[in-house]
Amino acid sequence: MDKVLELKDFNVTYKNKSKKVYAVKDINLVINKGDSLGIVGESGSGKSTLAMALLRLLPEKNTDINGSSNFANMDLVQASEKELKEIRWKELSVVFQKSMNALSPVHRIGEQIEDIYRVHKPNARKDEILDRIKALLKLVNLSDRVIKMYPHELSGGMLQRVAIAISLIHDPKLLIMDEATTALDVVTQGQILAEIVKMEQTLDVTRIMITHDISVVATTCNKIAVLYAGELMEVGYVKDILKDPKHPYTKGLLASIPSLSGEKETLTGIPGHLPDLSQKYEGCIFAPRCKFAMEQCEKSKPSEVQLSAENRVWCHLYSHLDRDEQLESREDLVEVNR
Amino acid sequence: MKKYVTKRVLMGVLTIFVVFTINFLIIRLAPGSPISTIMGKDNDDPLLRAALEAKYGFDQPLILQYFIYLKNAFSGDLGLSIIYNKEVLSIISERLLPTLLLVLTAALLAVVIGTFMGMYAAKHEGSRVDVFFSGISYMFNSMPAFWLGLILIIIFSSVLGLLPSYGMINSRTSLTGVDYYLDVIRHMILPVSTLVLVEIPIYFRIAKSSIVQTLNEDFIVTLKATGMSERKIFNKYVLRNAILPTITIFGISMGYLITGVALIEIVFAWPGTGDLMLTAINQRDYPTLMGIYLIMSVSVALVMVVVDIIYATLDPRIRF
Repeated sequence: MDKVLELKDFNVTYKNKSKKVYAVKDINLVINKGDSLGIVGESGSGKSTLAMALLRLLPEKNTDINGSSNFANMDLVQASEKELKEIRWKELSVVFQKSMNALSPVHRIGEQIEDIYRVHKPNARKDEILDRIKALLKLVNLSDRVIKMYPHELSGGMLQRVAIAISLIHDPKLLIMDEATTALDVVTQGQILAEIVKMEQTLDVTRIMITHDISVVATTCNKIAVLYAGELMEVGYVKDILKDPKHPYTKGLLASIPSLSGEKETLTGIPGHLPDLSQKYEGCIFAPRCKFAMEQCEKSKPSEVQLSAENRVWCHLYSHLDRDEQLESREDLVEVNR
Repeated sequence: MKKYVTKRVLMGVLTIFVVFTINFLIIRLAPGSPISTIMGKDNDDPLLRAALEAKYGFDQPLILQYFIYLKNAFSGDLGLSIIYNKEVLSIISERLLPTLLLVLTAALLAVVIGTFMGMYAAKHEGSRVDVFFSGISYMFNSMPAFWLGLILIIIFSSVLGLLPSYGMINSRTSLTGVDYYLDVIRHMILPVSTLVLVEIPIYFRIAKSSIVQTLNEDFIVTLKATGMSERKIFNKYVLRNAILPTITIFGISMGYLITGVALIEIVFAWPGTGDLMLTAINQRDYPTLMGIYLIMSVSVALVMVVVDIIYATLDPRIRF
């Protein structure tokens, strides 16, 4: 399968004069063409930082990005501003958390979309652009009237749809949705998520969905990456992980969601808080909150355990799995990749 | 839009009317009267007083005086000055041009210079230039304008002898044509500089903070993510959003300038309305004073209406 994005030892550190905050640590992740990956985690787990760092939109003055992220034959971490401009929106686009403010309040929506279109096609004819905008608005179930309107004349759901339409304007290879439906009510969120899934049947786009809401991932993604305190806990197919979560943190996350069907259960949250990210920890970062924590967990960081071709977990509970077995499964993987 | 403009204009007229009424009452409530000024300090002849009061209509009840004045003002007659014994309208129109010249030049220079300084400082936030601009902006903002005027006179007129310290033209020469205008400009430099220096900090700070704030808006991040050039983002999207507070401040500040320029006019012996107003207050010259107040409130109301309309054309959220 074609790799669309490959993160290797990806680190993001916020820094100021007196301290450093290790917001994202040692992320290794591959996204294949056609995948839809949901990145989940609680607030402050580094989800948005990861997205903003990928897009290189963090202020360079106070952030360090290390490692590599290979996308479209270039390393986004090393890419120059000029190279980035080339691929921005054409190959890699984004829908932000607060779409209500994603457009300038004093310019007409049509004018703003036109300007964005012209970034990569400066000489486009006006009617060509208008056709494109109309087609996109139709895709997200909006009327043409929107073109002549100002953002304050639209509802939150409509603005979200506009933001999604704009993100698709140049048929990007990779679309990042950063909490794109979080600010909406559940009904609108449901509608838009259904539209996104339907849209993708006709588009050739790979999607990263950043959210704290596992149900969003369950309905719209095929893969999931669980992030805690800037580190990956578990990665794999949604169908496997939701049914049988391996990592205690994933278990905790799933146990804190009520289910509509089935027996009545007591909702259990995860006790404790996120650790202070300005310090480095020797052991597993989740150990202080983990009810299965062992002596080993405090001492050393768990390394990656390959459970199957696509499912990986970072937890000492599974490191007893025979090393040879792991190696074997890795060899399998290599073959699969070939 | 039409409805909005009509509404603003009506509001302006109402404001002028209210201001006019308050001024009419306040000046008459103050102790002293123009009759005493005309009669002189030692003269206390009741017959003369009664005759003068009848001549200027002060024997009528206050309410009647008010309506008579209102009626005349509407037909463009602001009455006779009690002290100068001349048409108030002609006295004021003589003095209005120099004041407007001073105020408009200063206001435009201040808004342009201040806003550009603010733009530069916002783009290079934390740089040495930013720190320097912010520093001097605090300094000039905390300076009383008349004092700054006096200091400028000491430096540039008394010590260096570069610029004239008073008046609008050099009365010892009779210049014509281009030379005349050059002479006026030379005389304008110090008073205009004083006003501009005091006004710049206001525009500097509002422009800087508004641009910094706009640069942190989510839509700017979105536009950056689209690969749009920084220059286009700044010139089209940041400026249009960030300029709105400057326009509001411009309106408020113009109102202040039109009325507050009096002190500067006195410091520089500028033949404007400010000087006329102070004399009128001291001599209780009711008609002249009311005339000046009327012209001032009309100018302020006019500026406010214009500013509101500009604002509404720039910000679609304002239109009703």
